[in-house]
Amino acid sequence: MGQTATDLTVTGQENYPHYDALWHLKTLGVLDARNAPLGWSPTPPPKPTRVAVIDTSVAPEHPNLKNTINTALSIDFFSARLGSFPYRGALDTLDLDWDTNIADGLPHSVRLLTEFTDRLSNGSAAHNNRVQPCTLPDFSGHGTCIAGLVGARPCITEKRLASGETEPLALPYSGVDPMCEIVQISTNFDPEPEGMILAFLYAELIQADVILLPRTISDPSRVVPELGDVMLGSHNIKDLVRQVAASPVLDDMWSELAELIVNISQNRPIVCAAGNANEEGAIYPANLATEHNGIISVGAINAKGFLSGYSGRQGITVFAPSNDAEAFDASQVRLDERNPEYDPIGVPPSTDNDKFSSFDVISTDVPGPAGYSGSPFAGASLDGSLREYGSYFSRFGGTSAASALVAGFISLGRSVGDCPAGSGSAAKSWLLAKSHPQSDGDIPLNVPCWSGRPQFPDT
Amino acid sequence: MSIQDILTRHRFTVTSTGLRLDDQAEAPVDNPDAAANAGATLSLLALNRNRNRNRNRNRNRNRNRNRSLNNAAGAALQEPWKERELLHDLRSEWQDLPLPLPPNAEGLRRQALDLLVKQALRTTPQESGRKAEILREANIELSGYLRPLGIEELGGYDATEGLFYLILALTDEIGLRYKDRYNVLRPNQIEPRLRPLLPNPPHQSYPSNHSFQSFSIAFLFSRILPEHPASSELFNSARRIAENREWAGLHYACDTQAGYQLARMIAPVLEKVCKKQMLAAQAEWL
Repeated sequence: MGQTATDLTVTGQENYPHYDALWHLKTLGVLDARNAPLGWSPTPPPKPTRVAVIDTSVAPEHPNLKNTINTALSIDFFSARLGSFPYRGALDTLDLDWDTNIADGLPHSVRLLTEFTDRLSNGSAAHNNRVQPCTLPDFSGHGTCIAGLVGARPCITEKRLASGETEPLALPYSGVDPMCEIVQISTNFDPEPEGMILAFLYAELIQADVILLPRTISDPSRVVPELGDVMLGSHNIKDLVRQVAASPVLDDMWSELAELIVNISQNRPIVCAAGNANEEGAIYPANLATEHNGIISVGAINAKGFLSGYSGRQGITVFAPSNDAEAFDASQVRLDERNPEYDPIGVPPSTDNDKFSSFDVISTDVPGPAGYSGSPFAGASLDGSLREYGSYFSRFGGTSAASALVAGFISLGRSVGDCPAGSGSAAKSWLLAKSHPQSDGDIPLNVPCWSGRPQFPDT
Repeated sequence: MSIQDILTRHRFTVTSTGLRLDDQAEAPVDNPDAAANAGATLSLLALNRNRNRNRNRNRNRNRNRNRSLNNAAGAALQEPWKERELLHDLRSEWQDLPLPLPPNAEGLRRQALDLLVKQALRTTPQESGRKAEILREANIELSGYLRPLGIEELGGYDATEGLFYLILALTDEIGLRYKDRYNVLRPNQIEPRLRPLLPNPPHQSYPSNHSFQSFSIAFLFSRILPEHPASSELFNSARRIAENREWAGLHYACDTQAGYQLARMIAPVLEKVCKKQMLAAQAEWL
């Protein structure tokens, strides 16, 4: 991003091996060596599988995402309390589950659901209360990467030549399920429960087949590690560390949100990222996953088949391909010896450096200079058009990427009629039945694989 | 061409310098602008290059701040006339956002009771630290925002700081317009038993600009770096800064709440006006 010619000088990068940009789909057994679908046919079902992604906004004009994002239903809660629709006019009769009882027993959620369904009624304005959505593509990097991993379509777009003419350009990039549709539910990152309750209620109302949450929720009493009942005199440390005093109403709403997530997961799987800081037992709400609900907690495994340097190991449902990270601590020394800045001084004699993989997961990025990857050109083109296709993709990783791949995997299962509908627990059982134990350390890691066993290319 | 045909006939390979489509030769990357000017067709994919960001053990190398050489803050305080002009061009998008009308005098008196309680608690050991915060936050300064981000003593974040100053400057004006419209008296003008820690600023009470400005920084920063753990923490800092103005006896709770609502509703406009500065700030983190 914003790169200058100086930034682009390559030093020592030639040390790194080349690799297939779709390696993660082969590891998941979705594509064969020729990149052809393996054990499934890319024939769209009559009704596309619906994946609700609760994340940032997205860049829906990306050529690989143009037919993926459902622009009629995508909604933004960043700026408008009851949501504004970014890509459509006034509401017609939306195909929603108006009679849902998902919030029963949760009084704040019932109140919000009533207010929200009224706001969604036929004839309502797209922009609630005249408040614009906050969805500029320029600031939609995370959501665009996530959407691409789930459901990007391979496509033919146009390349602009120096002469000003155009020629067809193939973009052979695919999500795990290139037949699904994504309903983007964008939220802000204010640690307040109302926006997240509304986002999950909306995912239920639109009857999503899969819900993906590739992020944490900053519930002050559920941030890991939870502080429990540590007391300092007569005060609970939990209250003493808060910058803003606790409010009983908000605490009730946070508890309702946790209950609501579990309730919704009984109807449809909820796939959550498990965290990027070695969190054992995962971050909230991935840590709500149990045998009795449809919440799926996803950790990361690298292209060598080892746990990624940042991923937790315990209490995680499945592991999916992602990038790796260096580690230099008492639990593990895993350094990238190919890095031109690698410094052997102070490195103990026994290391796990051989477990480090330089492979990233490649995904769709915001076109143009914004997003994670900018254009290689220092300046904008004279007429504002893209001069090349370079900034359509970026390196990506973390358990966000892994969770997106698992959501896509379940979606593919739904699209071909293999994964059962109507129950999050049944979808989770299906996913686990498709998973294979990958040996790394004491606890084998469950890795989903569509056909055969997971193959790891960085060997 | 079908999905299968596109995937099997073409292939992206990640190379050490970018992404390669099929077997096309890669263009040189050390000076792509020169290549473009020469009419060369690049087949390079410019992948983001910073690997393992935030995890590298050398990550803070060369980022020690040398404050004596740091002129960014002074430079950033220049009047942002270009952005202000753009803001004014978009006036119809922000001049009439649906803020609730303020409470009447009786409602304000009731809210002022809570401020009297806060005034009394201000002297207790638990809340004694508020005074120093209030005095520090009286005027524009960024430590309340930079500290949660962990960049207070680090160099290399000039664009981030510049963005924060820009947001503070633009929101100051917008807030004053709304204050003027509602024309709400300050708390101690309604409740004489209140003894504010600071003199009343020379403008009206509703909405609170400290709240509006702090939350605007939090909302816009979370647009450029949503995955940063401090994105949520900035909202807590903003709430603390906003509530400290209640503890100072300068604002009612409804002022704080209106400032929050205004910041949230105006964020889509500000991200258009501040786009360039937001992208520059983002580049410092990615």
